Amino acid sequence: MNKPSVFLPFWFLYKKEVGRFVRVIGQTIFTPVINSFLYLLIFGVSLGRSINMDSEYSYLAFLIPGLIMMSVLNNAYQNTASSIVTSKFHGDLQDLRTVPLSPIQIVWAYAFGGLSRGLLVGVITYIVGSIFYYVQEAGFLFPHSAIYLLAFLIIGGVSFAFLGISVSFWARNFDQMSAVSAFILLPLTYLGGVFYSIDILHPFWRQLSEFNPLLYFINGVRYGLIGVSDVSAPKALLVLVISMFFLLALALRSIHRGHYTRW
Amino acid sequence: MHALEVESLTKQYEKGPLALNNLSFTLDEGEIFGLLGPNGSGKTTLISIITTLIEASSGEVKVFGSKVARSNLLTKRLLGVVPQEIVSHGFFTVNEILNFLSGYYGISNNQEHIDYLLHNMGLYPHRNKKVSQLSGGMKRRLLICKALVHKPKLLLLDEPTAGVDIELRNSLWDFVRELNRNGCTILLTTHYLEEAECLCDRVGIINHGELLRLGKTRDIIKDFTEKEFELELANEKVDMTKNPYFLRKEGVINYFRVPSNMDFGGFLSNVQIDIKDIKDFKVREGKLEDAFLRVLGDGNHE
Repeated sequence: MNKPSVFLPFWFLYKKEVGRFVRVIGQTIFTPVINSFLYLLIFGVSLGRSINMDSEYSYLAFLIPGLIMMSVLNNAYQNTASSIVTSKFHGDLQDLRTVPLSPIQIVWAYAFGGLSRGLLVGVITYIVGSIFYYVQEAGFLFPHSAIYLLAFLIIGGVSFAFLGISVSFWARNFDQMSAVSAFILLPLTYLGGVFYSIDILHPFWRQLSEFNPLLYFINGVRYGLIGVSDVSAPKALLVLVISMFFLLALALRSIHRGHYTRW
Repeated sequence: MHALEVESLTKQYEKGPLALNNLSFTLDEGEIFGLLGPNGSGKTTLISIITTLIEASSGEVKVFGSKVARSNLLTKRLLGVVPQEIVSHGFFTVNEILNFLSGYYGISNNQEHIDYLLHNMGLYPHRNKKVSQLSGGMKRRLLICKALVHKPKLLLLDEPTAGVDIELRNSLWDFVRELNRNGCTILLTTHYLEEAECLCDRVGIINHGELLRLGKTRDIIKDFTEKEFELELANEKVDMTKNPYFLRKEGVINYFRVPSNMDFGGFLSNVQIDIKDIKDFKVREGKLEDAFLRVLGDGNHE
């Protein structure tokens, strides 16, 4: 028997993952883009005019990177989670156990699928944000550090895709899935500094916020795009690389020990 | 080398029944083996262990000499499995699903083989439909195509004809024979006895996770069934009711039940009847179904 290819099985699973979200592009791309658009319109343009930032940047410029990161994280998570959950529902998740795909191939294929959707929504959010910015400030929003910006976006997307894999493989029903979203991810996202700087908080809440991993993602991207951040960018990068490997281990474990049975 | 070795396999479900109890048997390369048992006898549990969907409590399974495990990709390449339960796929067409699946096995350009499978399973005209648009029977045929995209050497068929119409059933049996001629070893689980009798060289009968009988299909039928002779007599006055094999009488027709190894000549000399008194006769051979019920009955009395 010829030596089997390592790349091909991974590539086909990745293609299937991308194919899946492209098939339902209305839900997977347009809906989150409309969300971002509304946030920009309500907070960035309407309310933002009355917010005094005490800096060279407008509230809109402060908001855009946060929204980009929020889109990437949300959509990377949603993509892997909903793909696996629908597979559980259809009963075809068990195929993953019978085909010769190793857990590492499965995890990376799903993660890149999630990252692809996350980045796509992120880029569209950036374009829409830039249009608003141009209209309001008559200027362009060029990245302060493209390398930091890309690093944070990619690590964020991959990490949250891993998280989506872990949660959906372990979950035994829809309730458990939505509990994780509603009680953990949503509060952490909104309290992670998308809409405000933690400098305005009482010291107690500021210190507590530093335990929120979302804070590092959001401020990392803010640093990459406009050069402003509540935390130091290299420190944030280090924290997030470590957390990414932790989430990778968690995702691999969930592939080994998670539930494949039909809902 | 054996295509499949099952060695002392036991599965105890958590807070559940003992699904498999020290089960051992082997499959030779190139045979069609039938695993027969009533509902809940452990057939699907066994298939799930071979495909690593669930883990055995003890014992092991080898496919072509290699021990199956979740991390053993070699046995996964050799195995094809048709699950009992119908599976759906939300977003893709029949042809897309089969191409993705081929890719998972490392085969990038498999359209020719996929078309061959689609033609054989009568799905070619439906290849661009989504699974949700297929009928139940078509979905089952898709499962068979899915199991065969990578030309497995051992095919596990878990009740493949449950709820399938007669026409499809016959074409499926023909296709199973063709696959077998081309070198594929086949393990068929079924509680549809006619299917096993028609296809399988050997059968094993399991109940409550234990193997009750294992042997050539013909031998099992012979050992556990009786033949019926039906004699139409020329003369109603001939009395055969005192014959030890006599079963019942309907007018000029007399029914006898004899051991399955007794032939008609032996029977005639035994009953001492003049050949001129016999107008016509029929032989009804025992069926696997009778043998199966007998084996299960014996098992229950033990």
